[in-house]
Amino acid sequence: MNNPDHSVNAGTQDQDPEETMDAGSNVEIEFDTDDSIGREGVANVNPDSQEIDPEDIQRLVNELDGLVERLKATSPGYTPPPYSPQRLIRLLESNIDRFSPEFSSRILEILRSSINEDLIDPDTWKGTWYMLNYYLDYQGDKLKRRLSGEYETDEWGLDPEFLDTIRPIFDFLYKKYWRVATTGMENVPEEGRALLVSNHSGQIPWDGTMIGNAVLNEHINARLVRGLYSNKFPSLPFLSSFLVKVGQTLALEENGIRLLEQEELVLVFPEGMKGISKLFKDRYQLARFGRGGFVRMALKTGAPIIPISVVGAEETYITLRHTPAITKLTGLPFPPISLRWPWFGPLGLVPLPTKWYIDIGAPIPVDQYGPEGAQNLILVSQLTNQVRNVIQKMIYERLTIRQSIFFG
Amino acid sequence: MVKEKVILVTGVANEWGGRLAAELLARSRMRMADATAVSEHDGANPYHVIGVDVEPLEEDIEGLDFIQVDIRNPSLPELLKSENVDTVCHLNFKHSYHRSEQAFDFNVLGTMKVLGACNDAGVKKVVMKSSTSVYGAHPGNPAFLTEKHPLRGSKNYGYTRDLVEIASFCSGYCSQPTEMLLTILRFPNIIGTTVDTPMVRYLSKRPVPVLLGFDPMMQIVHESDVIESLVIAVENERPGIFNVAAEGALPLRRIIGLAGRIPVPIFHPFAYIASDVVSTARLPIDRAAPIEWDYLRYPWVADVTNMRTEMHFEPKYTAEETLREFKRHQKLSRYDDDRSTVTGDEDYLREIIKLRSELKVRELNSREDAQYE
Repeated sequence: MNNPDHSVNAGTQDQDPEETMDAGSNVEIEFDTDDSIGREGVANVNPDSQEIDPEDIQRLVNELDGLVERLKATSPGYTPPPYSPQRLIRLLESNIDRFSPEFSSRILEILRSSINEDLIDPDTWKGTWYMLNYYLDYQGDKLKRRLSGEYETDEWGLDPEFLDTIRPIFDFLYKKYWRVATTGMENVPEEGRALLVSNHSGQIPWDGTMIGNAVLNEHINARLVRGLYSNKFPSLPFLSSFLVKVGQTLALEENGIRLLEQEELVLVFPEGMKGISKLFKDRYQLARFGRGGFVRMALKTGAPIIPISVVGAEETYITLRHTPAITKLTGLPFPPISLRWPWFGPLGLVPLPTKWYIDIGAPIPVDQYGPEGAQNLILVSQLTNQVRNVIQKMIYERLTIRQSIFFG
Repeated sequence: MVKEKVILVTGVANEWGGRLAAELLARSRMRMADATAVSEHDGANPYHVIGVDVEPLEEDIEGLDFIQVDIRNPSLPELLKSENVDTVCHLNFKHSYHRSEQAFDFNVLGTMKVLGACNDAGVKKVVMKSSTSVYGAHPGNPAFLTEKHPLRGSKNYGYTRDLVEIASFCSGYCSQPTEMLLTILRFPNIIGTTVDTPMVRYLSKRPVPVLLGFDPMMQIVHESDVIESLVIAVENERPGIFNVAAEGALPLRRIIGLAGRIPVPIFHPFAYIASDVVSTARLPIDRAAPIEWDYLRYPWVADVTNMRTEMHFEPKYTAEETLREFKRHQKLSRYDDDRSTVTGDEDYLREIIKLRSELKVRELNSREDAQYE
């Protein structure tokens, strides 16, 4: 059906000799598969194209219809050639002059953007190959180096290379998962010792990692926080070596004092295990602050105490009930019954994506009491209470501003 | 006439006693030579070293006055008195992995007898070698154990148990008013190319067993630093208990890596069961598992601040250097044992030639001085 239309079209444009040539070539391409018939048709039209009367057109149409009939008769199995990009491109190439300039440039643009020239360029593949080789070499070297012990560790066991490797995971949790908002970073000293004291929560204590991440990411000097962890952890495989590798150490007074004397930032959770095992109904109510060991550490070293409140972490697990019986029977640490554990299996141990706030309060100086203040039990208990009250107040302040658990 | 300082070293047939005696004698000779050269007889302090051991010496030590006797001999005070012994260096301990009454008798009662005899005979100073394993490996250990930390060493490992007994006995002894100076040096795992210690045996295994998921911090010390610190304790007055270790504690896997070995992790409950089986069946544990698993699971790193500030001793080798040397040696010994000893001998001979020529020059000088006088 297209054929008669086309020939008519060609006929009307035949006044211009150049266009005639083009039209001829077009037809030639279109009839690619049946050359002889195409040429015949063109030959019929071209000689008497000076003036066209409707009769001629009618005659031509009839002739073309006849041609179509003949075509059908000679090759009954004829089907149009299948679609292929090359064909389409050739078709467009040959017809592009017929389009308006804007339209043709648009088509060219579309074609250009659909074909990425870089992929055709052999240099791209060479470059990719080099990069891949380099990467494999680097990773192989790293593995070899790690196996032969050629990496740095400090006397506490901190492995900076390992820390760099795992940081993206904690960055994700910090930025995307809990969307932690940290305020008061200026209260953390640029250098020198300081004792960070925070509330503790969550069945799995993520709050320590997030405070560490906050100071590492947002502090001017990107300082490393040395957390003091519970004495339940050293006998657990993997966790114990992980904690040591990221620069944490066991919560003992002598460890804390030694770290503070080395001008480090030390993070303590005086609530300890009582904070982690808090029930949901007791959230944001600070538990007893240990026996004041952290105050003695600060007094002995003259390190300022920096109170920190973490809001949002206490809702990551909804703890309903403790199960000391199971722990006693199996001897393994069994997480307490929560809204999701053990009903949903391991999924119940995934923390909820609440919105977190870490507020760092103004430092409480203790160096005016001197190291002998550590022997004064009254002073120690007074300071312990003071720090506890400051943190509790900071938590309440944040809770009054907060609109939603999940969106802040 | 120069007054000789008489030093009695027990356990000269074992490697530490023998090496200490040899080192003291070598220094004595050097000082004598120095003193004769500059005619400063007061400053010189040559040693008369008496060696004591139950077992005969495997190799003769030049200049050593060897007496083959058990330290538990009741006449030990008389020997000390008659020889006018100034300093006793007690290094005679029996190494046993299992609890053994015989070893306990020898180690603990032997030490008691030696200390008692020294006190009776008016010996001025006693130096003893101990181990930081007496603190024990526990999950609640601080990252750095000071000398005052309670001793909670393993009760299963025979040698450690004996050392804990000795240490508690000695601390009782120290609290009594006495004129005798007692120095106890506590060493962590000793590593060296010429010694055979539990840690060397452990690192010579291939592959080296470790506990899955545990990588405790560990301390080591070089063999020559052990001898050096003992010599310092003998030559100077440094009473007290000191932890002596190389600079820097390293994670266990790094130690194994630096020693050129590959760690093979074992799930810890299985490891404990296996070692229980070994200890109940009294299998030769030194080949199966050289150290108690707790010592590969929890940290037992000692604080060496007092070693620097009070004992004024600075180890020559850091932990990394010690391990690199160990690795080099292990690699060489794998290929050709003889050649490495030959090159070692060559260096040794060169050293001797140098020393002897120096001595000759000095002797000549002193003779000339004497002639002019």
